[in-house]
Amino acid sequence: MEWKALEAKGVYAAYYRENVVAGMDIAVAAGDFIGIVGPNGSGKTSFLKSLSRALRPRQGVVLLEGEDLYDLPAKQVARKLAVVPQENPISFGFTALEVVLMGRNPHLGRLQGAGPADLEVARLAMEKANVWHLADRPANELSGGERQRVIIAQALAQDAGLLLLDEPTQHLDINHQLSLLEMLLEMCSRGLAVVMVMHDLNLASQYCDRLIVMRRGMEFAHGAPAEVLTSTVLQEVFGVGSIVTRHAVTDRPHIIFLPAPGGDGALAGPRVHLVCGGASGASFMRDLLERGCYLTAGVLNLGDGDEEVGRALEIRMTTEAPFSHVSEDAHLANLELMREADAVIVSDLHVGPGNLVNLEAALQALEWGKAVYLFSPHPIEERDHTGGKARELYGRLLAAGAEESPDREEILSWLAGEGGGPR
Amino acid sequence: MAALRKRRVTVLVILGLVLAAAVVVAVALGAVYVPIGTSARIILSRIPLLGLLFDGDWSATQETIIISVRLPRVLLALLVGMGLALAGAIFQALFRNPMADPGIIGTSQGAALGATIAFFFGINMGWGGLSAVPLFAFVGALLAVFLVYFIAKAGGRVSIAYLLLVGFALSSFLASIVSMLMVISEDRMHNIFFWLMGGLGTGNWDMVLAVLPFIAAGSVVSVFLARDLNLLMLGEERATQLGLEARRFTWVMFVVASLVVGAAVSVSGIIGFVGLMTPHIVRLLTGPDHRYLIPGSLIGGGLFLVLADTIARTVIAPEELPVGIVTAFFGAPFFIYLLKRRRNAIA
Repeated sequence: MEWKALEAKGVYAAYYRENVVAGMDIAVAAGDFIGIVGPNGSGKTSFLKSLSRALRPRQGVVLLEGEDLYDLPAKQVARKLAVVPQENPISFGFTALEVVLMGRNPHLGRLQGAGPADLEVARLAMEKANVWHLADRPANELSGGERQRVIIAQALAQDAGLLLLDEPTQHLDINHQLSLLEMLLEMCSRGLAVVMVMHDLNLASQYCDRLIVMRRGMEFAHGAPAEVLTSTVLQEVFGVGSIVTRHAVTDRPHIIFLPAPGGDGALAGPRVHLVCGGASGASFMRDLLERGCYLTAGVLNLGDGDEEVGRALEIRMTTEAPFSHVSEDAHLANLELMREADAVIVSDLHVGPGNLVNLEAALQALEWGKAVYLFSPHPIEERDHTGGKARELYGRLLAAGAEESPDREEILSWLAGEGGGPR
Repeated sequence: MAALRKRRVTVLVILGLVLAAAVVVAVALGAVYVPIGTSARIILSRIPLLGLLFDGDWSATQETIIISVRLPRVLLALLVGMGLALAGAIFQALFRNPMADPGIIGTSQGAALGATIAFFFGINMGWGGLSAVPLFAFVGALLAVFLVYFIAKAGGRVSIAYLLLVGFALSSFLASIVSMLMVISEDRMHNIFFWLMGGLGTGNWDMVLAVLPFIAAGSVVSVFLARDLNLLMLGEERATQLGLEARRFTWVMFVVASLVVGAAVSVSGIIGFVGLMTPHIVRLLTGPDHRYLIPGSLIGGGLFLVLADTIARTVIAPEELPVGIVTAFFGAPFFIYLLKRRRNAIA
C-alpha cells in the first residue's frame, strides 16, 4: 500500500467549544500544489494547524506517511513537514542567518552544533527566498516582507518533503509574491508537496493544481481551479459578484470582481437600450444599473467583452454568433428591445460592416420618437471601418434629433431628464 | 559566522578572567587588609595538587580571615549571583518577556514569607548546617512556585500569559501577608526588614555547600539545552514546528529555574536587579544566542554580585549596606547607559 505524504480524514477541531473545522479531508501526494481558499473565519488556518501538529483534532485523524501525526515526536515530524505560519514574531536580535539555521534543528543531535553542511543548506534556502543578502542583519530590524521571507527560508532549511504555508504572500510585494510562487512551483516539479492557504484567488488559480474551497469549517468545493472557481461558487461562498474569464497567457480561470450594485432606487430610472461592442459599453452598464435603469443591449457578438459583462450583470441582450455579421433575425429582435425602451445610448463603439445595422436600428428608434444619445469621446471618423457609411449614418442620426456628447456625465444627466418614473 | 563565534568566546574568556580577579580582590578587602598577592596564594594553596606549590609564608590569622570568613561569603555571593542571573535568563526565554525576573512566578515572595515565618515564630531548628531562616525560605519559594503552577494548570490551557498573571497575583498576596506579620511583630521587624533587603552577611561554608548543587546542576542543564532555549524564543508553536517538544521543555526549564532561584533566595534574601538586568547586559555583549548567553549570564551575575557585596561591606565599614541597595544603585545607571548606546540590541 502506498502512503500519501499527508492525509486527513474527517477532521473536527476546536479551540473552545465550537468546531472551527468540521469534517475536513485532504490527501496530499508528492508534487501536489494544493490551495485552500475561503472567506475569513472559514477555518482555513485552523485546518492547516491541524495538519501541522499544532491543533489536535477532537475527532478524525491526520496521517503523516501513514502514521498518526500526533503520536510522532516533534523532531521526526519536523524532518518531514515544514510550516510557514501566518504570524512571525521574532524578538531579541538573532541575525537572519541564525534564524534560518534554527530550521536545521530537526537534523541535529542534542549536542551537535550546525556544521558547514547545515550552513550550505541554509545558504541555498536563503537564496531561494531572496534573503541571502540579509544574512547578517538582525531579524527584528527587517521589514515585514523580509521577515516573512526569512521564515520561508527557515522552513526550506528543514529540507522536508511537505511544506504547509499560511498566507505566505500577505506581507510581500507583487514581485516577491510571484517569485515565491514560481519557486514553490519549481520545487513541486521536483517532488515537494505544497499546501497553501491563500486569499488571492487569482494567484491561487494560477499556481495551484487543486483548490479546496472552505466555508464554515467545511469543504464547499474541491477540484482543479477551472472546476472550482466559478462565479456561482464565488457568489455563494464569498457573496461577491464576479466574471470568470480565462487568463490570456495561462488559460487558468481569471476572476474579475464586480462592484456591489449600489443605489437604492431599484428600477426607478428610464428603460434604456445600449448599442455597444468591444469593451465600450461595460462601464455604462454599471452606471445605468446603479441609476435604477432597466437596461437592455444589442446586438452583441457572443464572447465580446461587453457581451460577457452584460451576461454577468444579467442584462437582456440580443446576440449574434462570434465574429459574424448581425443577422436579420438578431436585428429584428434588437428592434423589439428598442421599441420597448425610452432611450437609446450608442457607445463609442467601432463600426464595421458586421454591426453597421445597429446604427440603422438606432435611426429607426429615433423615428419612433425615442431619445437617442451618441457618446463620442472619440469622433466617429476614427471608429469608422465601413468606408464612410458609419459617418454618414451618424450625420443622419444627428439631423433627425439625436444628441451627441463626449462627456458621459452629460449623457447621464440628459437621461435623468427623460424621466421614466418608478415602474 | 566564524568571526562572530570567536568574538563571543573572547568575551566569555575575558569575563571569566575578570571574575577570577574580582574574587581575589574581594577576599583581600575588608576590615583587615590582606595583600592581594597573599590572598591569591592562600586561596590557591587550598586547591588540591596545585596547593603543593605554595609555602605558608602568611600568618595563621590571615589564613583564618581569608578561608573561614571572607572566602565563603565571596563564594556565596558568586553562587547567588550566578543563580539569579541564570534564572533571569531562563525566565526571559520562557516568557519571551524582557521584564521577566527570578521573582516573577512568586519565588521571591514565597521565600520572603518562609523567612518571615521563621523570624516571627522565632523558630530555632536546623538541618544540614543550615538555620531555620534559609530552610523556611527555600521551602516557601518552592511552595509558591508549585502553587502558581497548579493554579495555572487548573485553569485549563496553561499559557505563559496566564502563568505570569497568576504569579503576579500570588506574589502580591504573599507580600501582603509578609507586611502584616511585620506590622504585628514590632520587635522582630528589623530582622525581617533586613532579610527582605537582601544580604550575604551570614554567609558560611555550610550555605555554600547547600546552594552549590542546585546552581551547578541548573547551570549544566541550561548549557546543554541552550539551543532549545533559542528555539523557544520563536514562540512555543514555532519551536514545536522546528522539532522541539516545546511544552514539555518549558516545564522542565521552569522547574530547573525555580529550584535555582529558591536555593539562591534562601541564603541571600531578596536581592533585586541581578536576575533582571544581568542577562540584558550580557546580551549586549554576546548577542541573544543562549549557548553564549547562559555562560555569560552565569559569569556576569557572579561578577556583579561579588563586586556589589564587596562594596556593601566595605564602603561604610564597620557597618554594612544591604547588598540589594548596591546592586540597584550601580546597576541601574550602568544599564541605562548601555541601553541608550545600544538601543536596538535590546528586545
